[in-house]
Amino acid sequence: MPYQIDNRPADTRESLYFPEIFRAIGLVVKTFWRNAFFSRDGNTDILERNRVRNRVTTLQYPEEKAPYPAGYRGLHRLVPRPDGSPRCVACYMCATACPAQCIYIEAAEVEGDPIEKYPAKFVIDELRCVVCGFCVEACPKDAIRMDTGEHPAPTYTREGQIYDEKRLLRGPPVSYEKDPWLVRPSKLTDAAQKANRAAARPFGTLGTDEYSQTPGFSVRELAAEAKARGEVGK
Amino acid sequence: MKRFVGMWLVIGAVLVGLVGLFAAFYALAALAAKGAVALGFPGFFGSSIVNAVTLMAVTLMTLAALLTVAERKWSAAMQDRIGANRILVLGKFPLGGVPYLLADALKMLTKESIYPAARSKFLFELAPVLAFSPTFALFAVIPVGPEIRAMGQTVGMWVANPDAGLLWIFALAGLSVYGTTLAGWASNSRVGMLGAVRASAQMISYEVSLGLSLVGVMIAYRTVNLQAMAIAQGADVLGPVPALGILLQPLGFLVFFTSSFAETKRAPFDLPEGESEIVGYFLEYSGMKFGLLFLAEFVEVVILAAVTAAVFLGGWHPVFFEGWMKANLDPLLFGAICAAAFLAKVILLTWLQLIIRWLLPRFRYDQIQGLCWKLLLPGALVNVFVTGAAVLVDPSLQVLAWIGVAEIVAIFGITLAVSKPQAAHGDAHGHAAHAAGH
Repeated sequence: MPYQIDNRPADTRESLYFPEIFRAIGLVVKTFWRNAFFSRDGNTDILERNRVRNRVTTLQYPEEKAPYPAGYRGLHRLVPRPDGSPRCVACYMCATACPAQCIYIEAAEVEGDPIEKYPAKFVIDELRCVVCGFCVEACPKDAIRMDTGEHPAPTYTREGQIYDEKRLLRGPPVSYEKDPWLVRPSKLTDAAQKANRAAARPFGTLGTDEYSQTPGFSVRELAAEAKARGEVGK
Repeated sequence: MKRFVGMWLVIGAVLVGLVGLFAAFYALAALAAKGAVALGFPGFFGSSIVNAVTLMAVTLMTLAALLTVAERKWSAAMQDRIGANRILVLGKFPLGGVPYLLADALKMLTKESIYPAARSKFLFELAPVLAFSPTFALFAVIPVGPEIRAMGQTVGMWVANPDAGLLWIFALAGLSVYGTTLAGWASNSRVGMLGAVRASAQMISYEVSLGLSLVGVMIAYRTVNLQAMAIAQGADVLGPVPALGILLQPLGFLVFFTSSFAETKRAPFDLPEGESEIVGYFLEYSGMKFGLLFLAEFVEVVILAAVTAAVFLGGWHPVFFEGWMKANLDPLLFGAICAAAFLAKVILLTWLQLIIRWLLPRFRYDQIQGLCWKLLLPGALVNVFVTGAAVLVDPSLQVLAWIGVAEIVAIFGITLAVSKPQAAHGDAHGHAAHAAGH
């Protein structure tokens, strides 16, 4: 809470100067006493710290780390299947969606299976990554996630920031059904949830130009005209 | 709760350690006195030489060095921080930040010394020495402990006991201004020179009130010898209350403490080294030469706290249970307890200095001079005349003590009489505007 500052001229007692200093010495002694003689609450969530006696808000960083919010996009990981192999099927969706082009995939066929593929190489250059999360959104198999809650560890060389499939494949073999934010109970009543779902516009319509642009203006039409004039390269 | 108990245990351990340390110092001094007598010299020759090592080289330097750590940790506690704790001994124990002492010393000693090309060569080397040595020599006359008889010898816990004790302090405190002024002058830098000029003007101004504030004490105890002053403070004056300097001279104490604060050139009187405006008179110094100027400041803090304790806080008198201890304890142990009590007072006063350092923002230059010449100097003068009159009327100091009690009560009363907090913000604003309008 900010202190209220009362901008009035000093009264006689205050202009004597020393009495106010004595009062303030008492204030600092109290602060010193609290912080020196009572132990600090080491809760990493500083706002929830008990600061009745010791008022220190310092976070001892390498030992104590502030918790990230639930939706924090951390270091990528390749989600394993229960048997330990990557869930990834090397479909290149994430590499295509990546605006920074930091994902490199080499697909290989699973032996004895005419359909199934797997990533022989799956490399992410964390220095190029812009942490947008598009790869996670693009993945049809829930095979790449940014739910580690870590950032890429600092390294002395650039090569150290290039993560291959061996470093990326880790963590529990979860899927969306088990995600905590999906199973937590809603505050809305069942009827309200049903009504919300019924009123919800289906995905995919919101971002198209028919809905988002000025009436009569269409990017697609402009693109088609440009193509007709032969301005678009092959 | 664990920390609470632990802190009290640490304080107790420090006090017990001080008692043990000074018992050892007394024993060493007695041994040296014995040796000197065996060689045909007076006994105090030996004890003074040993005390020069134990008091000045060990106690004072350790205190000043530890003050750099205390400056970090105590300041942190006053500002809701933790403070320096990254050096871990055996990878585990921060030990209250004390290892930073070694890191600091190592850094100062091994850093490159950079010399400004246009410096005045001889004076540039001389200035840190001149800043450090007079400050350091001040401690020679501080009576750390009483005179006791141990091992058949009479030993005291001081390096020298000249009759002109306080005058020695004034003389040497006045000399230390040469160090700062020369440091600024010899480095041939505009900013350093500005700091030096500020330092010399400030220190010379405050020396006036520093000297005058002690005149009252000299009148009251009828001596300028510090040891005699410490002994005089043990005599009872108001019933069982001893004639402590702070009781007889509260105004003198205030003026002296403030002036000594200004003499140390530390915040809020740190204009000579105001980091945000001019870096200060030691701007061009680096390495251990800067270290000396820096350490001189800390030594000065300890020494002026020691003078304050010796003159105003009863010197080495432990005040409580003193008669019982003197009657029942071994003289060596009694002397050690007295010396430990003195050191505890010194530490308490340095702590108080640190509190004020973090309490007040830096003064403006005219405010510094105004405080000295318009508030402290008249206060000291009034104190001298009142003390003189009171001692003239009643040589047993009773009247002076009652005047002192009245002063303390008045100061407390004024401090506690806080003006009523304004009821509501808008209301307060209206009143202020109203008052200003008329």
